[in-house]
Amino acid sequence: MTIDPELLMAYADGELDPLTAKRVERAIAGDPALMTEVERHRALRLRVAGSFVPIAEEPVPDHLTALLKGNVVAMPSRPLTIVNRWMSMAACLVLGVTLGLVVKREPVTARDNGLYASAQLADALDTQSSGTPGAVRIAVSFRDRQGNYCRVFSSRAADGIACRDQRGWSLRRAQSGSAPHAKGNYAQAASTDPDLMSSAQDMMVGQPLDPAGEQTARAVRWRSPETVH
Amino acid sequence: MLALLPRLRRFARSLARDAADADDLCQVTVEKALLARSSWRPGTRLNSWMYRIMRNAWIDTTRSRARAAETFVDAQAGEGFGEAGAAEARVALNEVEAAMRTLPDEQREAVALVLVEGLAYKEAAEVLDIPMGTLTSRLVRGRQALMARLGEAT
Repeated sequence: MTIDPELLMAYADGELDPLTAKRVERAIAGDPALMTEVERHRALRLRVAGSFVPIAEEPVPDHLTALLKGNVVAMPSRPLTIVNRWMSMAACLVLGVTLGLVVKREPVTARDNGLYASAQLADALDTQSSGTPGAVRIAVSFRDRQGNYCRVFSSRAADGIACRDQRGWSLRRAQSGSAPHAKGNYAQAASTDPDLMSSAQDMMVGQPLDPAGEQTARAVRWRSPETVH
Repeated sequence: MLALLPRLRRFARSLARDAADADDLCQVTVEKALLARSSWRPGTRLNSWMYRIMRNAWIDTTRSRARAAETFVDAQAGEGFGEAGAAEARVALNEVEAAMRTLPDEQREAVALVLVEGLAYKEAAEVLDIPMGTLTSRLVRGRQALMARLGEAT
């Protein structure tokens, strides 16, 4: 099949339905130039989005907030999209069960659209390179179909896969922790759970990030434009 | 709406030509949104609604301005942005922002909504009130122009 530039771009953005995406994937497999183009699209997306992140983090000038304060408008909160709703359900059903205890122990915070890493776990996901020993260990980082950065982690409290969205590190997979409890004895314990790694494989687009890739990702605070608001 | 302000400021910055214009645009948008709040339908996305108001306000502004005013703006002028933030972020911002400014408006707004604001194609097409096909063709042309301008050093 011929792949026009719009189709390829839509594939790079994760905008295609699964069937069309598969067709594009097959075409890409036979044509390295197409893969390069997909990577260029994703790199550009990251770069453009990353460079505008600081603006959204600047304090909003008082004269703007003043317009709204004292003029408080009760807007109903935005309804969850289907995807969010599905994720919440998945989070409740799958993660909630395994994490029932963990949720109270702070590395994970429950929010209205799922579970998010917090405290030490969130810090490690933000700052730690893959393979560095510590209370939290990160096995690998990669990008998913939506272009979000994801990292496979293990810690005392939980092992899992977290992906960065606008609200933080959203837990996509989680299970009880495998890292050793004993302090000061971080003999690189058992390698990461094969099931977790195979989940990561399924979610992954392209190759895992190399150290330079991780550094770039850290520079944009692991943010990637995506559709969750 | 208060929670949307940071994102609105960002969208304004990708539409407008400089930070001061962007904050003016933000102010106009918030005022218009407050006046028009009865037209917002609960159940629809507040951010898309606000983006649309902002985008229309921006079109009004640029139209009402003398075309001649554009000659005062040098697309390369990148100073005066973001007092806060790391120096390298500022440099990157200027480079990308400068490249964005060389795009035709119709491509720039498509790029801003999808790449910067992270809207899905469908949502972006709705904000811009154009068919999906039009959106994707503007988006792909805008991105190719940016790639060419920013080089491979991404």
